[in-house]
Amino acid sequence: MASLLQADRVLYLVSGEKKIRSPLSQLYYCRYCSELRSLECVSHEVDSHYCPSCLENMPSAEAKLKKNRCANCFDCPCCMHTLSTRATNIPSPLPDDPAKTTMKKAYYLACGFCRWTSRDVGMADKSVASGGWQEPENPHTQRINKLIEYYQQLAQREKVERDRKKLARRRTYMPLAYSEKYGLGTRLQRQRSGAPISGLAGLSLKEGEDQKEIKIEPVQALEEVEPLPEDYYTRPINLPEVTTLRQRLLQPDFQPIGASQLYPRHKHLLIKRSLRCRKCEHNLSKPEFNPTSIKFKIQLVALNYIPEVRIMSIPNLRYLKESQVLLTLTNPVENITHVTLRPCEEGDQDDLNSTATVAVSPKELLLAGKDAAAEYDELAEPQDFQDDPDVVAFRKSNKIGIFIKVTPQCEEGEVTLSFKMRHDFRNLAAPIRPIEEGEQGNEPIWLTHHVELSLGPLAP
Amino acid sequence: MADLNAKQIQKSVKIAPGAVVCVESEIRGDVTIGPRTVVHPKARILAEAGPIVIGEGNLIEEQALLINCFPENIIPDKKDVEPKTMTIGINNVFEVGCISQAMKIGDNNVVESKAEVGRNVILTSGCIIGACCQVNTCEVIPENTVIYGSGCMRRVQTERPQPQTLQLDFLMKILPNYHHLKKTLKGNSTPAKKLK
Repeated sequence: MASLLQADRVLYLVSGEKKIRSPLSQLYYCRYCSELRSLECVSHEVDSHYCPSCLENMPSAEAKLKKNRCANCFDCPCCMHTLSTRATNIPSPLPDDPAKTTMKKAYYLACGFCRWTSRDVGMADKSVASGGWQEPENPHTQRINKLIEYYQQLAQREKVERDRKKLARRRTYMPLAYSEKYGLGTRLQRQRSGAPISGLAGLSLKEGEDQKEIKIEPVQALEEVEPLPEDYYTRPINLPEVTTLRQRLLQPDFQPIGASQLYPRHKHLLIKRSLRCRKCEHNLSKPEFNPTSIKFKIQLVALNYIPEVRIMSIPNLRYLKESQVLLTLTNPVENITHVTLRPCEEGDQDDLNSTATVAVSPKELLLAGKDAAAEYDELAEPQDFQDDPDVVAFRKSNKIGIFIKVTPQCEEGEVTLSFKMRHDFRNLAAPIRPIEEGEQGNEPIWLTHHVELSLGPLAP
Repeated sequence: MADLNAKQIQKSVKIAPGAVVCVESEIRGDVTIGPRTVVHPKARILAEAGPIVIGEGNLIEEQALLINCFPENIIPDKKDVEPKTMTIGINNVFEVGCISQAMKIGDNNVVESKAEVGRNVILTSGCIIGACCQVNTCEVIPENTVIYGSGCMRRVQTERPQPQTLQLDFLMKILPNYHHLKKTLKGNSTPAKKLK
């Protein structure tokens, strides 16, 4: 359906730090700043962690402890699908009477897509359905943990020294957050978009931990390396046994070369994120906490506030010949909206990509409000809008079709054009200042958007 | 007379007792179906260029197409071309919507939904052709191979897929309740009709 709508043919310009052009369905509208926002000019925050297969919510502290992996679900090491637990009946001797055998259930993991089973790598069947499966231990874990502890202690020591120097005069207590060497503690540090996250982020120790001296041994360089086996170059390759790069790199601590060493790993958790406008710090998008729910607590998407332009029909476009293109304008709000289109002026800095000139009528267009009950209300009189038939092709509830005249200016390539759309917006948010007498509190503000259309190639 | 007899033998369908073949399935040509095989309605078994012999314990699901067809570049000429027999072993599963033209299929194979197996492929035993995978090569697929994914990736599994005995038993009980079945052979009687 998305390819049918061809949403990326109509782009709206977002003014922010970077000028971003993107379809309206991917933009957000901050109604406090009265501006469009794209994903790049908002700050993303992690709301909650959940497992995509068992849909279990996990608190952030627990997620961090388990390295962002689910405790119950496994991924197939071969095709990365989710593994399911299957049971077989195995005859096994009764504990009381070894002569008789009874059918016991044995469980193994199997992938429904590539038919990998846990028996392929030699993992024995377990007698419990869940909780019996263990990930293999990394032989280097101890060394890495020791190194991390040592560096944590080093950071802590350096921080204390730095604080001591700064506090030489003042004896006031300075909050921890301001001086962290190996962390992204403050909001200020985090807000810088694109700032590289240090690998040792969040390693600072809490205050009050014992200052135990941890010593680490430096790594010893060996002169003699194990020689390659003699038939390394002549041995024929057993291709099904060799792992693909993708399979190998999904397990970076082992990176097995052979398929018989591919053990399953716990499934990665996914996050729900909330978006926040960088200028006014209001939330633009806040999902529900429950992983099974797809609704939002706060959902300030641009489609609900800004009229949407869609291309309805394009005639054959010829070089330097004026043709009429039919667009539709849809009104998302419930009150009447006044829209004016005007072409971009000469020397407009936003107008970078147009290869055609456009002539639009300067008349103000009226868009009826979106009325959800309109189709059931038979007694309602059709509103009389007195449309100019040269401009307005048709009108249907909250949508109108308009003609614009396009003249391609380039002989080759795609025909793109841009224009400005000015419309009024009534802010229905709670008024910040108290309503004075005689004032309705709902004065419309006028917004102007720069819209770019891509009409496709010229007719041959 | 002999020619007419030969033609009649070519067109008959021999269904062994114990097999469950629904009337709505389309079976054309010289087809032999072994016992304990279940053929669902709307399955099609077409023996155009030669006979098809299906072993026992097979499961052929809806809209599956088993066809013994002429190779594309050879014009069917009855004198020159010898009819090649398509043999299918035991305990195979042909899932919904698959197309199989392979001339020789062994035991315990699974051709998953909407998979296509070409004419020059030979399936040994324990092979699994994944859903929507098209295997058009000219080769013998080694035992216990799994072909899966959009890129038709392959891997070898350690054990063959289990025969679907539970499913077969269930179907042999339930299908006759809802569908008419094609008549099976009784004992050793010949299926050829007598000419009058």
